[in-house]
Amino acid sequence: MSSTDLDPEEDDLVSSKAWDNAILLRLARYAKPHARLFYASFGVLAMLFMLDMLGPWIWRHALDGPVHAAVSARERDPAADIGTFVRQFWYWVGGYLLLVALSVVFRYHEVAQLNRTGQTVIADLRSRLFRHMQSLDLVFFDRRPTGALVTRVTSDVENLNEMFTSGLVVLLFDFVKIVGVLAFLYWLNWRLALVVTAGTPFLIGVSLVFRGGARRAHRAVRARLSRLNGYLQEVLQGIRVVQVFRREKAVSARFAQHLDGYLAANLKTIFLFALFFPVIDFVVSAIQGTTLWSGGLSIAGAQLSYGEFVQFWFYLALLVAPIRELGERYNILQSAFASAERIFDILDTRPTLEPEREKTSPPGFSTLPLRGHVRFEHVSFSYTEGTEVLHDLSFEIRPGETVAVVGATGAGKSTLVNLLLRFYEPSSGHITIDGHDLTELDPARLRRAVGLVLQEDFLFAGTVKENLILERESVTEESLEEALAASRADELVARLPGGLAHPVAERGATFSTGERQLLAIARALAGDPRIVVLDEATASVDSNTEAQIESATRKLLEGRSALVIAHRLSTVRRATRILVLHRGKLREQGTHAQLLAQDGIYARLHRLQFAESAG
Amino acid sequence: MARLWRFFRRFLRHKKQLIGGFLCIPLAQLADIAITVKIGGALDRLRAGSPTDFLAGIFWIILGLSAFKGVFRYLQRWWIVAVSRYVENELKQELFDKLVSLPLAFHARSRSGDVVSRVTSDVENIRMFLGPGVMYTLGAVVMVPASIALLCTLNAPLALTMILPLVLMGFGMKFFTPHLHRWSEAVQESIAEISSRAQENFSGIRVVKGYGLAAQQCARFDEASERNRQNQVNLGRSRGLTHALTHAANDLTFVTILVLGGWAMIDRSLPAGDLFKFIDLTFKVFWPIIALGWIAGMYPRAYASAGRIDELLAEQPLFSDPHDALRLSSPRGALTLRGLSYTYAGAAKPAVSGVSVDVPAGSVLGIVGPTGSGKSTLVLCLGRLLEPQGVLELDGIDVRRLALSDLRACLGYVPQDSFLFSERYRDNIAFGSDTELSDARIQELVELACMKDEVAHFPKGLETLVGERGVTLSGGQRQRTCIARALARDPRVLILDDALSAVDTETEAQLLANLRRAGEGRTVIVAAHRLSSVARAERILVLGKDGRVEAQGTHAELLERPGWYRETWQRQQAQKELSVL
Ligand SMILES: Nc1ncnc2c1ncn2[C@@H]1O[C@H](COP(=O)(O)OP(=O)(O)OP(=O)(O)O)[C@@H](O)[C@H]1O
Ligand SMILES: Nc1ncnc2c1ncn2[C@@H]1O[C@H](COP(=O)(O)OP(=O)(O)OP(=O)(O)O)[C@@H](O)[C@H]1O
Ligand SMILES: [Mg+2]
Repeated sequence: MSSTDLDPEEDDLVSSKAWDNAILLRLARYAKPHARLFYASFGVLAMLFMLDMLGPWIWRHALDGPVHAAVSARERDPAADIGTFVRQFWYWVGGYLLLVALSVVFRYHEVAQLNRTGQTVIADLRSRLFRHMQSLDLVFFDRRPTGALVTRVTSDVENLNEMFTSGLVVLLFDFVKIVGVLAFLYWLNWRLALVVTAGTPFLIGVSLVFRGGARRAHRAVRARLSRLNGYLQEVLQGIRVVQVFRREKAVSARFAQHLDGYLAANLKTIFLFALFFPVIDFVVSAIQGTTLWSGGLSIAGAQLSYGEFVQFWFYLALLVAPIRELGERYNILQSAFASAERIFDILDTRPTLEPEREKTSPPGFSTLPLRGHVRFEHVSFSYTEGTEVLHDLSFEIRPGETVAVVGATGAGKSTLVNLLLRFYEPSSGHITIDGHDLTELDPARLRRAVGLVLQEDFLFAGTVKENLILERESVTEESLEEALAASRADELVARLPGGLAHPVAERGATFSTGERQLLAIARALAGDPRIVVLDEATASVDSNTEAQIESATRKLLEGRSALVIAHRLSTVRRATRILVLHRGKLREQGTHAQLLAQDGIYARLHRLQFAESAG
Repeated sequence: MARLWRFFRRFLRHKKQLIGGFLCIPLAQLADIAITVKIGGALDRLRAGSPTDFLAGIFWIILGLSAFKGVFRYLQRWWIVAVSRYVENELKQELFDKLVSLPLAFHARSRSGDVVSRVTSDVENIRMFLGPGVMYTLGAVVMVPASIALLCTLNAPLALTMILPLVLMGFGMKFFTPHLHRWSEAVQESIAEISSRAQENFSGIRVVKGYGLAAQQCARFDEASERNRQNQVNLGRSRGLTHALTHAANDLTFVTILVLGGWAMIDRSLPAGDLFKFIDLTFKVFWPIIALGWIAGMYPRAYASAGRIDELLAEQPLFSDPHDALRLSSPRGALTLRGLSYTYAGAAKPAVSGVSVDVPAGSVLGIVGPTGSGKSTLVLCLGRLLEPQGVLELDGIDVRRLALSDLRACLGYVPQDSFLFSERYRDNIAFGSDTELSDARIQELVELACMKDEVAHFPKGLETLVGERGVTLSGGQRQRTCIARALARDPRVLILDDALSAVDTETEAQLLANLRRAGEGRTVIVAAHRLSSVARAERILVLGKDGRVEAQGTHAELLERPGWYRETWQRQQAQKELSVL
């Protein structure tokens, strides 16, 4: 049992000290393969920006030029001919129309292109995240509610979309824009521009003050959300327990608690940003006011013409807009950063198992089929420090042998399977197959060689056939047929409408538990496995069928190694060797007859089972 | 629109905040307009050599107005945005409550990833639309007419021509909306798909790993992810069109202003300062309109989500308590089944068919039969988790006339799949009880379930957290915990569905003895594969492959008749005798 690491309170709050820049840089790295899309986005934004800049320019020339000329001409002589001015004016209008048409086209691309960029990058990141999760150990999954994990690949990743569009692209662009406009303002009138620049430290200061709080608040939001979803998911899975035990109100109250936590975290972010925007706005107004003031003084002092000032004022508006928007975006950014941290947290989790590579193996070894000679040498294991589940275990399974494991519940039988499949790593000792340490074997290759039925097996949504084949090349029509017959699942399949094409619901919910086990056995046998592992494979199957399976599989198991775990001794009687596991220690070992003669734990269990059915 | 209106009404329930927030909008906007007017006025007065003493005043007025505006902007956001969060939570809670009340039939046919994404992603969409939607729409409602009125005082014909592009925009929107709708739905569905795939993978991770399915799973996931990307890109294109349209309307307005304004200046019917004001105001009129355009782009997505949420909310529980429901104050636990049948939706044949049996209070009923014969189905019918045909009576009263909660109150159920919650060990046991359990009682239950030694070895004993579905426990430990949980509620009727399949013989014998003791006076229903577990039952029901009752009677009676029971018993005996050899 894990103890502290199971605590969702701690687990969910991913806290990193990463600075915005570090996160941004890392995100940029993920965006790099899609650089082209980003360039295109920049192109679109740059075009739009230029068009936006051109607008005021045209206005100014239209108004200051022909219009002004016409007005002054008329002022001098009300009957003056202003035809040329009017024509000029129309040229400008025509130019403006052209500009408008162009900018409409680019407006379309602004949304379409940015969206495409963001979605492409996050789709990529999502796949990467999922792939990475596939490489992580069971320890990772044991500790985390599925709902919370799902939240990371869905909601958290989606939250990054904004990051890649509003964030990387627009942010950078806004920055360029601000710098560009500012430079332009300096060129127009450096004195006024200086006044504008004087306001920036305030803006930066305000942002810095808010950032710390905002990030913390957003982290809390994401953590709460993940916990909320985890709980929802779990209740849905246990719905029948909830309903029979009439716990609808209780779980609803729990959910409400989760919602409250989520709300509180959200309110905090709302509060912070409700405050943040007006403060930024106020600073911006102050900048504008100051500019007006000093500009006014200059106009009055005739150092500046009215037209120049109006132009400056126009371009100032171009500067103010991105600053205001930066304020708006800051919220999205902080939220996205919080999600990014959660995603990086998983991407940074390394599999604790050693790198999955065949290190010391001779060349060509990895294509050689395994024979399936399993050997446990002084294996000990504990899930959590301090509680040893298996202690100094040694045994072997030679090809063609069936080794059965019996023992009290909780003795560590399923743990053996977990170790053999390298779901976990023994804390000491070795497990070898054909003389190769498990750590030298590619887990994928190891697992391909194993036909596995878990105590708690799992069917995927899809068809029966897909579930039996699981895209293994080793499954052929004949081997499937044979496996179905041996597992007595043939009868079941024959009964299903559509036969092998019959749809399977999530988790195989429309099958009875026993039927699911039959299908799982068929699946394990169909792939021509070298090693067959059956963990309580027939626990929920009636004894008639069980006996049939036992005799039918005996033929199939010839030449293969088999590890069979069972509580019903009748099913293990014929095993080559029976191991009796007690509290993680191997206490007895031998054939059925030998163990009975030994008159130890096995013999006692056996007597009990016999007595029980007689009484 | 009607679809979203219902959600909108939830917003309106938060009157105080909304009214407060909305009152802030015009105040803030007025301050904003006042700033513009002030600046415009100042610009008008600025000429070379003109007096400058008014500038300082203007500066402070701008700052003052801006502070004023800031306060109201703050309040506006704080109140209105918070409301959207309240609504989100209420909606989630309502969906959750709905989900836990829905029958198993619903849960069996829906994919949990899909359901979860309705409660999360879809609700989120609604919030994101309605929150800003409410704010900006109302902002626009205040702002647009006010600005247009102001524009009219400056130059009425010019102001009125601005309406033309708006009309144009309205028509254009109509044209793009179907696309938006189509892609929005596609996007929501593909999000649900992603979530289902991930969900399935994570919960079946042992099999995924055990069969080395990672590559295949990744391929499938990528497929879903790519589908989502495609849909998103298409949705983005449609949104781009609406976005361009809104801007086109905006730009055309400026063209109009340029033409007419320039003309008016030439005509000298419009002073330069007025044109400036005009432009600035137009900016202000258009900002809310552009926001509206943006919202119009979000609308279809919210609409699609609203549809998916409505679907969930429209799901009906199979049955509801009759209004004259009888209350059972002290149930005895006698069950009567008459012609009980159940057919799963979509199944050709009934899983349980015509089961009739009397189970007197305090007696034990065994249910046996081959795999898939309907034992679990029958047991689920007893708790009305599945709604069977035929008659089911508790203490002689038809359960359909009873309050459902009264029926379930007297049931203790150990499910075949031994589901546990990822909570502390003790919470899992306490889950069964309607009342708080004392530590002593929990200890007692742990002992009854033969878990005492093992719990003592857990890192934190009873406080140890159990992984999801109980993954950190062994199969037998899970089963026994479920038994403890069922006993925790001191049920009149104890239902054990294959509850000893994962425990060893020794523990089983001990457990059976404990159960016999604890079951004293209770009605016990045992579905099992090992006939030894039911041999002592007062009555044993043998179900056939077709879900019908093949035979019933006591152990002795059934042994006398040829049939499945006798055969199976003999085989089980023979195996054991054989194994002694
Ligand atoms: N993932 C895990 N994390 C922590 N502890 C675990 C985990 N899985 C099992 N355990 C603990 O390890 C011990 C051995 O469990 P295991 O599943 O191997 O027992 P088993 O012999 O298969 O029992 P059963 O017959 O009941 O299936 C148990 O005490 C169990 O609580
Ligand atoms: N949700 C469902 N939808 C459709 N068919 C179902 C559903 N659940 C079970 N069935 C079918 O109904 C029949 C009876 O199933 P049930 O689970 O009651 O069997 P059981 O007797 O408990 O079997 P086992 O011994 O394996 O536990 C089976 O054939 C099964 O395939
Ligand atoms: Mg069953």
